[in-house]
Amino acid sequence: MRKNISTLKLPHYKSTAGMAAVRMAVPKEVLLPVSPMNAHSATNAEPVVQAGDHVYVGQLIAKEKDRGSANLHASVSGTVKAIEPYTANGHRAVAIRIESDGKMEKDPGLKIPEPTNLDEFLACVQDSGVVGLGGAAYPVWAKLSAAQKNHIGTVLVNGAECEPFITSDHRVMLEHGDLIQKGIELLKKFLGSEEFIIGIEKNKPDAIEALTQRFKDDPAVKILPLSSVYPQGAKQVLLYNATGKVVEKGQRLASLGVIIINVSSLVKMAEYFVTGMPMVERIITVDGSAVKEPKNLIIPIGVTVRDVVEACGGLKEEPGKILFGGAMMGKTQESLDTAILKATNAVVIMNRKDAQKTEPSPCIHCGRCVAVCPLGLNPTAFSRAMELEDEDQRAALLQKEQVKVCMECGCCSYVCPSHRPLAQNNNAAMGFLRKWEKARKEGGK
Amino acid sequence: MEKPIMSAGPHIHSKDSSRRIMLDVIIALLPASAAAVVLYGLPALWMILTCVIASVVSEFLFNLIARRQQSVGDLSAVVTGLLLALNLSARVPLWQCALGSVFAIVLVKCVFGGIGHNFANPAITGRIFLLAAFTSTVAGGVWPGADAVSSATPLELIGTEGAELPTLLQMFLGQRGGAIGEGCILALLLGFAYLLIRKVISWQTPVIFVGTVFVCYLVASGSFTVALYEILAGGLVLGAVFMATDYTTTPITAEGRLLFALGCGLITFVIRRFCALPEGVSYSILCMNILAPWLEKWTRRKPLGGV
Repeated sequence: MRKNISTLKLPHYKSTAGMAAVRMAVPKEVLLPVSPMNAHSATNAEPVVQAGDHVYVGQLIAKEKDRGSANLHASVSGTVKAIEPYTANGHRAVAIRIESDGKMEKDPGLKIPEPTNLDEFLACVQDSGVVGLGGAAYPVWAKLSAAQKNHIGTVLVNGAECEPFITSDHRVMLEHGDLIQKGIELLKKFLGSEEFIIGIEKNKPDAIEALTQRFKDDPAVKILPLSSVYPQGAKQVLLYNATGKVVEKGQRLASLGVIIINVSSLVKMAEYFVTGMPMVERIITVDGSAVKEPKNLIIPIGVTVRDVVEACGGLKEEPGKILFGGAMMGKTQESLDTAILKATNAVVIMNRKDAQKTEPSPCIHCGRCVAVCPLGLNPTAFSRAMELEDEDQRAALLQKEQVKVCMECGCCSYVCPSHRPLAQNNNAAMGFLRKWEKARKEGGK
Repeated sequence: MEKPIMSAGPHIHSKDSSRRIMLDVIIALLPASAAAVVLYGLPALWMILTCVIASVVSEFLFNLIARRQQSVGDLSAVVTGLLLALNLSARVPLWQCALGSVFAIVLVKCVFGGIGHNFANPAITGRIFLLAAFTSTVAGGVWPGADAVSSATPLELIGTEGAELPTLLQMFLGQRGGAIGEGCILALLLGFAYLLIRKVISWQTPVIFVGTVFVCYLVASGSFTVALYEILAGGLVLGAVFMATDYTTTPITAEGRLLFALGCGLITFVIRRFCALPEGVSYSILCMNILAPWLEKWTRRKPLGGV
């Protein structure tokens, strides 16, 4: 029998799991970035509205520019106040600022799409602006378009939600079972997939039970309870634990006949085919030691952290750290004025005490990072490599130790008794190697 | 309002620390230390204190003179001193204890860069240094209760015809000659259990090390009793639990550590059985320390999705 990848048991901090998602009050304004914020934001889009224009909820306000970006729609009705410079975390971007009229009027032009073949279906998904909501923000239509070249026999629906604090996918599974079913029907029809595996960690027994009931008459759908270990929801880990397959170097997941789609992305996609409303809102978890009343909120895309916090009773302490995402892979934000993007599944605000970092001490070679790495890498080797002066030697060692396989899950840093920033070093090492290889390539020409 | 902290993930951390690990090792060595004092009286206590103090002070002074960041707070020097003391026989004068500690800390650990950078186990190397320099006092052992009269250890006696050997129970409780901390197997096993519960070490290394010696003797002698006697004798259990499991000087991979333990067991058997030396645990661990980087290389796994 195949042994599952099972690495790190984490505290869950999922205190919001039992809280049904509630809709927050209509914000005064929203900020929707339309230039690349980072590698995983899918925000590179061309505005199609001007300052002063009136917009409805669901109206297209910016059109995607490339395969890595997505259409953007107004998430409130009101007036476009400005298309203005916007800075978040040092990224200088441009954002569309819409002042809400408080009415949340839907775009009367919205229609329920009725595709008849794969190409039309993909075009509809493209119109919807739905991106990967687990954090990667890769446009869903681009992911599904793999079906044009490969037969996608298996669809893995990712409901693992292994990150501490986050319960938004959990709520989606409990509250939108109908849309999960609709999404699966769509993929069955247009992708021709025969097998659907919904992977859910066992710390969500109610979701497992609800979906098992819902799909009990559908032999194509299998609900797979997974052990609650981190990073169960990571691509390679979920793929291996659910199917025993591995994406080897240079391979694409789709070439194995598999795609992995986050359960919230599937639901958002299905919603478009039911209501005709593109991606303008989502469920997020708001939690952390500085938040007064942690909640699951339905928010319009583009609200600021400040508005979201207000909807949760405000802060009880000064924020020590503001995270988009969970406690392991969440990205720190520098201010409460940062706007929430489509792929933001949680806002975690820690107090000063929880945000404090311990100073690193020398590596004692205990091997915990090696034992815990779900992919079998050796983080200490990357540290050793990065200490080498000679760049060619450094690159050679990093290549040999396969740093590019690293998915930055952070397990190594979490367990390190010397508190060394291993995951951060891995990231730096990957950045260095990419640059070095690029320079090498250009130099060789 | 102060600005929120910006940093890379993860944003939570396990409660473990290097210091806590060292503290756990010290706690795990307490039963053996107590047994040493019970068996050998106050002189054992003075030896332990001398080694610990000499280790800590020499690390402190080295850091001061070399202008390195002070590191005695990580408690690793205490572990080294304690282990060295437990590895010496009650005949060793205190000044030799101190000298061995200084050697272990300064020459084996500090000059290589301090904690995590030494290639060999400081306590073992310190013991081997003393053994070479002061063979008359360090080799052999004192029988508990005797007034520091030198006598042969069971391992020396085992080849001698007509010699009266301690019983297995006496061996288990430490009623035999040898280093002060190696005799009471019961105390060492208590420490082993504690380290397992605290997840400081895994069971594989000690069990494979001791198991290899046991199996080799079982095959070589054909006698279950002899094999059992051999694993209770000498510094085998002390070395297997506390020194072959040292993080820094063993391979970082789990598979590497298995090979490390196997190698230690084989070398110990070969030395004990075929060499002029009565005891081989220290040398076997030192040999394998040197091989550790290679074992680490040979046991590198193919990462998932890599080559």
